[in-house]
Amino acid sequence: MDPSKSRDSAESTRVIQFPNDVLERILSLIDSHRDRNAVSLVSKAWYNAERWTRRHVFIGNCYAVSPQIVARRFPNIRSVMLKGKPRFSDFNLVPPNWGADVHGWLAVFADQYPQLEELRLKRMTVTDESLKFLARKFHNFRVLSLLSCDGFSTDGLEAIATDCRHLTELDIQENGIDDISGNWLSCFPENFTSMEVLNFASLSSDVNFDALERLVSQCKSLKILKVNKSITLEQLQRLLVRAPQLTELGTGSFLQELTAHQNEELERAFIGCKYLHALSGLWEATTLYLPVLYPACTNLTFLNLSYAALQSEELAKLVAHCPRLQRLWVLDTVEDVGLEAVASSCPLLEELRVFPADPYDQDINRGVTESGFLAVSLGCRKLHYVLYFCRQMTNAAVARIVQNCPGFTHFRLCIMKPGQPDYLTNEPMDEGFGAVVKTCTNLRRLGVSGLLTDLTFEYIGRYAKNLETLSVAFAGGSDLGMKSILVGCPKLRKLEIRDCPFGNEALLSGLEKYESMRSLWMSACKVTLHGCKTLATQRPRLNVEVMKDEEIDDGQSYKVYVYRTVAGPRTDAPSFVHTL
Amino acid sequence: MGRASAKDSSPSSSSSSSSPSLVDNSKHKNHPRTSLSFASSVCRYSSCNSGGSSSTRAGRTRRGDLNTDLRLGLSIVSPDAQKDNWIGPPVSKQREQRQDWPPIKSLLRTTLAVAGKADANVHNVHNNDNSDRTRTSLFVKVYMEGVPIGRKLDLLTLHNYDDLISTLAHMFTTSITCPNGDRADHAKSLHVLTYEDREGDWMMVGDVPWEMFMTTVKRLKITRADRC
Repeated sequence: MDPSKSRDSAESTRVIQFPNDVLERILSLIDSHRDRNAVSLVSKAWYNAERWTRRHVFIGNCYAVSPQIVARRFPNIRSVMLKGKPRFSDFNLVPPNWGADVHGWLAVFADQYPQLEELRLKRMTVTDESLKFLARKFHNFRVLSLLSCDGFSTDGLEAIATDCRHLTELDIQENGIDDISGNWLSCFPENFTSMEVLNFASLSSDVNFDALERLVSQCKSLKILKVNKSITLEQLQRLLVRAPQLTELGTGSFLQELTAHQNEELERAFIGCKYLHALSGLWEATTLYLPVLYPACTNLTFLNLSYAALQSEELAKLVAHCPRLQRLWVLDTVEDVGLEAVASSCPLLEELRVFPADPYDQDINRGVTESGFLAVSLGCRKLHYVLYFCRQMTNAAVARIVQNCPGFTHFRLCIMKPGQPDYLTNEPMDEGFGAVVKTCTNLRRLGVSGLLTDLTFEYIGRYAKNLETLSVAFAGGSDLGMKSILVGCPKLRKLEIRDCPFGNEALLSGLEKYESMRSLWMSACKVTLHGCKTLATQRPRLNVEVMKDEEIDDGQSYKVYVYRTVAGPRTDAPSFVHTL
Repeated sequence: MGRASAKDSSPSSSSSSSSPSLVDNSKHKNHPRTSLSFASSVCRYSSCNSGGSSSTRAGRTRRGDLNTDLRLGLSIVSPDAQKDNWIGPPVSKQREQRQDWPPIKSLLRTTLAVAGKADANVHNVHNNDNSDRTRTSLFVKVYMEGVPIGRKLDLLTLHNYDDLISTLAHMFTTSITCPNGDRADHAKSLHVLTYEDREGDWMMVGDVPWEMFMTTVKRLKITRADRC
């Protein structure tokens, strides 16, 4: 036999003989869906081994694929994460009844994945019927997480509580739903013990406290509990003494007139929470009761004060007790002084989000400024994630900030007045954002604001080599801006643009790019139907969807949503969505 | 699909609305933008300085009140900035609130809106001029003994007890004992001022510092001097 031939066949024999079950065993240890996607590309054998062993599937755009295709490829799924509407729907830019209804998915899953255990949905429409269907069809169901979803009411939650006997997680966050009553909590069976994560902080109806207390007492594995505003301090104390094992706590209302004795008891309850590393809720918290938290703050890594309008001194005193803090969310009532206190007390801080307490107030003397941000960048060198709402900013400050913290991965700056220049020099904010992309080589997410010319986008295109998500509003001068992005950023996956002067030429400059991206959103820009049609014709594997922009009178303005898909045009599009 | 349409009739079916029990957003529910008359005909593309809408894009205007145009004194962009620049949405002086800018999520947006209107007593007055937060008014009811119909008074427009007394004396056309005043004057006044505090007790006005008073007062009553 020809020696080279024998070597080849020996090698190919080796590969073929690699036992599938060994391969599957190894691959089943891989969790990350990106790693698994990579694995599946190696060879047919690996593709098959991977698909048989995949337990969890992540679908970033529910319209990029159909449930049938998913089920055909992955026969053994137990856990699904689905994302629906474009992110700008959070800010009311997507009309109601747009779609992303989960029911079609559930119907297929009921058939193909009767053993489904986990469902995590973000920005999907979920009706009560769907929730009832879910509770009825999936007997092993354990985890339900609904983030920014809409379409259901607390009635649907009743079905979940009643029928999902093995529920370990119920996480309801920030949804636009009908909060009819808190009765759903009472629907958990008397002997229910499996809950590990319960988050109903964003619901407002009163729940039956006895039912809650019983649930907390019986569920010994409860680790995460986030109650809603209806729960008082006194009730909180009773819950805490029954669940000292909690690692994450969302309190109820933090304002109630307590007697000295009750205050003491509450303090003791917090002292008992030795494992707490995340704290949120704290509605209406004031100086009076914040000190009860102090003993529980030693190991705190995440503090969410978005619903507690603290003043600078209150925050300063609180964070002085949180030396290990890594993530902090606050309202801008804390002002720069409050942020300075954070800078000195929390050297391990990695993430900071500052939300505006009064978003419509034009008074420039309120809230936080560039100096607060600067102070944090000086004191917290590990800072890499910031979402910052402010009313004034300078290029110089931004440049210094990123110099102090070059490791930024997420830089989201929102100067609230659209088109606002550097308030000291009156120049556009181009150089500031330029500094961000030049210095922060690991930047993955960027949100820009203020007065910006095409130069900003030129910088972004040229320097932001790891950028994956970009949000742009009220910025840019011409098509060149958007072009620079599309031609430049090699890893771009999500681009969302509103109220910018980018037109058809800009849109079409991304012809080579869109199939490697998850999606593009453009609203209140200068694209016309003609441009969109051109895109759709040239790229049949994209869905190019347009909606009339009702804000603009000329009848020619559109909201455009472009995304790659293997499922073809939507079959459930409402009348106002046109797929070109 | 029957399910979807059943939700249509419900007032909060829109994905853009938040929980109805928080705030009445009914005018925003289905048409979050058209009800806002800030959306004036100021052209989005022009550099507007004093509300004159010089449109650089003929015919592309937002629906809305033409009059609002002139009231929107925008001076966002400096003259040497790029001329075809985006100014973005004009913000009405009456604080008509956009539902889509700044980009904060619905739940936070409505929670803040409610907190702004809600029990002003709670957060009030850390009393330091730089930190008067979002409070724009603190209205309390005022009754005069013997008069069934009360009045309302915004305490934030007053600075001290003297202000309070003189305003009330004027409102009710009577003389009220000044809390710091000479007890000898007591006999001359027809009325004294009392208030209900947060614990529900009725107290004489004037014993505690003004700032503390502001945090505990729930309502006022002008009672006859001979009763105290």
